[in-house]
Amino acid sequence: MSAYSETNLSSGERPREIVLPARTAWPLVLAFGLTLVFTGLVTIAAVSLLGGLLSLFGAVGWFREVLPHERHESVPVREEVIVIATERREVARIQIAPELQRLRFPIEVYPVASGIRGGLAGSVAMAAVAMIYGWISQGSIWYPVNLLGAVVYADALQLTAARLAQFSMLLLLVALTLHLTTSLLVGLLYGTMLPMLPRHPILLGGVIAPLFWSGLVYSVLGLVHPLLNARINWWWFTASQIAFGLVAGLVVIRHTPVRVRQFVPLAMRAGIEATGMPEEKRDKGENR
Amino acid sequence: MSAIPAPISSPEREWSLPSRGKTGMLNLILAESAIFTIFVISYIFYLGKSLSGPTPVEILHVPILDTICLLSSSLTIHFAVAALRRGKSKAFLFWWGATLALGLKFIEGTAADWYQMIYRENFSIKTNLFGTTYYSLVGLHASHVTVGLIGLSLVFLLALAGKVKQQHAERCEVFSLYWHFVDAVWVVVFTVVYLVGR
Amino acid sequence: MVSQSLPQAGAFGEHAQSAPWLERAHEWVVTVDHKRIGLMYITYSLLMLVVGGVEATLMRIQLAVPDAHFVSPQVFNVLFTMHGTTMIFFVTMPILFGFANYLVPLMIGARDMAFPRLNAFSFWMMAFGGLLLYFSFVGGSGLYGAGSAPDVGWWAYAPLTAKAFSRGHSTDYWTLALLVSGIGSIGTAINLVATILCMRCRGMTLGKMPLLPWLNLVMAGMVLAGISPLTAAQLMLCIDRYLGGHFFDTQAGGSAVIWMHFFWIFGHPEVYILVIPAFAFASEIIPVFSRKAIFGYPIMVAASVAIAFISFSVWAHHMFAVGMPSYGNAFFVLTSMLVGVPTGIKIFNWLGTMWGGKIIFATPMLFCIGFVFQFLIGGLTGIMVAAAPFDWQLTDSYFVVAHFHYIIVGAILFTIFAAFYYWYPKITGRMMSETLGKWHFWLFLIGFHLTFDFMHIPGILGMPRRIYTYLPGRGWGIWNMIVTIGVFFQIVAVAIFVVNLIRSYYRGEPASNDPWDAWTLEWSASSPPPAYNFAVLPEVKSRRPLWDLKHPEDPDWKYE
Repeated sequence: MSAYSETNLSSGERPREIVLPARTAWPLVLAFGLTLVFTGLVTIAAVSLLGGLLSLFGAVGWFREVLPHERHESVPVREEVIVIATERREVARIQIAPELQRLRFPIEVYPVASGIRGGLAGSVAMAAVAMIYGWISQGSIWYPVNLLGAVVYADALQLTAARLAQFSMLLLLVALTLHLTTSLLVGLLYGTMLPMLPRHPILLGGVIAPLFWSGLVYSVLGLVHPLLNARINWWWFTASQIAFGLVAGLVVIRHTPVRVRQFVPLAMRAGIEATGMPEEKRDKGENR
Repeated sequence: MSAIPAPISSPEREWSLPSRGKTGMLNLILAESAIFTIFVISYIFYLGKSLSGPTPVEILHVPILDTICLLSSSLTIHFAVAALRRGKSKAFLFWWGATLALGLKFIEGTAADWYQMIYRENFSIKTNLFGTTYYSLVGLHASHVTVGLIGLSLVFLLALAGKVKQQHAERCEVFSLYWHFVDAVWVVVFTVVYLVGR
Repeated sequence: MVSQSLPQAGAFGEHAQSAPWLERAHEWVVTVDHKRIGLMYITYSLLMLVVGGVEATLMRIQLAVPDAHFVSPQVFNVLFTMHGTTMIFFVTMPILFGFANYLVPLMIGARDMAFPRLNAFSFWMMAFGGLLLYFSFVGGSGLYGAGSAPDVGWWAYAPLTAKAFSRGHSTDYWTLALLVSGIGSIGTAINLVATILCMRCRGMTLGKMPLLPWLNLVMAGMVLAGISPLTAAQLMLCIDRYLGGHFFDTQAGGSAVIWMHFFWIFGHPEVYILVIPAFAFASEIIPVFSRKAIFGYPIMVAASVAIAFISFSVWAHHMFAVGMPSYGNAFFVLTSMLVGVPTGIKIFNWLGTMWGGKIIFATPMLFCIGFVFQFLIGGLTGIMVAAAPFDWQLTDSYFVVAHFHYIIVGAILFTIFAAFYYWYPKITGRMMSETLGKWHFWLFLIGFHLTFDFMHIPGILGMPRRIYTYLPGRGWGIWNMIVTIGVFFQIVAVAIFVVNLIRSYYRGEPASNDPWDAWTLEWSASSPPPAYNFAVLPEVKSRRPLWDLKHPEDPDWKYE
């Protein structure tokens, strides 16, 4: 392969001597001078004066070191043979997929769009369950919305139960932002995570993860946010989480996983078509 | 197993790396901008927070002429470097000298302003918060201009002695980056101190 | 493996063995060689490590039992101020700069740094800055009484630093020393960026550069943007103290809080400035001792860059207790949590590198495994204190002290030790003793966990940091005693390390050029490398150029 020898890193003749920058004390003098200038501020002015003089000498010396020509010195090259070899001749491969020699992880992923769609669908399902709860228990679909808004907008919790059931634009906006961002992020997470449990993705995403999350929130919310804690019905909370998980999980796995394209050359990923481009099929067999 | 031919990169392509001098100078500029950012932030933060007078409106004169001088010096140093790269040392000397003169005019203007304020109007760094932030910010800039002027005059003297040749164009260009930076900072300082802050 | 003319002990340079002492010292003082400057950095920081360690030990003795009077309250204030300042600015930063100096040109196949003279200048600025700081013990009125060493804490909050509350020059020593060493740091950072961008050997595109230079590039960029605000803040403090300015003078409308902002705009990125080179060591050492290529190279780079950017937007999580508006708190909570994402990615990548590998438990690898484990725990307590309500409870307590020591000692110092064991043969041509190394590792591990695991508990029980002593009956005594006992384990371990360093230098087993069978360019130079590093500048085709040579039938560049 071109100018690249198989036994050595470098090509070309070894020179007899190599030119390196000459050693010099001027940077040291300048550094010492500058430090003395500052030291004078905490001792006596004469020290600063001395420091200033030294700095001047140092700067001039340094200047003459590089201008008009950088000072150099030649170092003779040592005679030596450098052989690069290893005793570990064998290369083992971790067997993931027999047809792959070097593997990139993961082999297959769900497309990003699946995560986004899953998150959005899940958010609708969750909101529906929560609003049904609000309607049944408080007679208002705005109740859970206001509670969610109260997570960051603490003043809302000072409100009475009656006020919490009313519609509030501010709280709606806060809650919507929170709900949509979190849903999207969790949806994306599902898109990445679900392939890791290929046999029962729905069990993981739809039941186990929401149960874990509900349990975690249940156990810490009393410490973190007692006022909010007092107003939460945990059965319904868990139900809405599971609704999210099931819907999001189902939407995600309805998509077909695609093989990762990291190993494909950039030009191909960018969609450029040209001669000499590797076939994608052949490619898959030869990449890690 | 056959190698996958990389479709775009060929093994014999040119190996070129950015210039050391320019990279170094740009990094220095990055660090300096961080310093200036902090000073500008504190200027803006303390606007109108002084407990006693005078206020910016009462005391500041907008240095329009100095600003024009400093900003146009960016242009002249650009011409100077361009001339040197083409090997025209006379033109280089002229434009470089013009840059130096414009820079000197700027620093003279600042000095006169400060003299007026400190000795005539009794407004110093100790007077109030505005004084502290004003003198620090403008002083920090002025000290950078001064350093630049020392560099400019050094090169000017060398050029007078006929020591600056075409092969030094790269170094002069690196230096001109610094000077452009000083000018750019003045745009910010001018905006903050004389336009927004008044 | 072919071994070639091994250098004699003590032979760093050409004349080293024969020349008299003074001449040899002169050689070092006037050098502009990146390897020698790197070694001077490292030696200087090791000496400072001892100084800072002594200060820590004195504090721990004072705190071991309730109501102790081992040192006076004034001395205690000086001790924690100097301990913090020394460890951050004159131990960890320079030692990392030292390794960067030594390794970066070798790993990118260059003969020296981009600006060799600036390199020497930066080192000397840093060194003299440290001396100026310690001169405060004897300078000024120090000889006559309590000493005029700084005693305002390493973050020197206003208005404690105002002329009225800090008489004499103690605070000025702190400010000026940091100004001086800050100039040096900025110089080194400029140099590193220019070296890494402009001096790479043929073929080494940014995508083929080893992770150590990559992460040092990120670190240097952070130094430029992070140390400069500190320099600016120090200038303002100087203006206040010398020229009578009012930046932080609350009597004249100035703000003490803005000093906190300025300090932490520097202070938090600083943590990442220190930890990113530590990541770099781990990212070089773990693959070699797992006998696998690093897992997720592009993600590692991306995560480091992401950390660098995010770390500039988290500073005020040090200030939750100040009383910022709630949206300010919320913003800084969220950004601080966000750092956890790229950091977590890195931990998974290291684990992914080890997974399925043929792990060799040599001393460098042991320290790296300790690092991954402890960094995870330190990161988790970090997430805890990043939550504002939790922080309100525990801010300025020993919990916080334990948290950041977990990172600085448990993560950064562990990887630094790993780096010593790993690159020592390259630097000296001799191996460090594995037996002593294992003793060092296990004793230090025990000492570390005794000290810093148990330090969390008095914090949760309400023990504030920086207190001089405490009354019996608070329930803190036993924990503090355990913490102090741990310190002595650490002292013994470090003593073993020092003995190992010195002994191996003279008696260590001679090392070949490539004792670890590694893959990056520095192992293709002889040990120790000649002044010119490479007789012929190398040319690379992949991230592991030595792998390509060792396995010509299965080179990396076919896949990258």
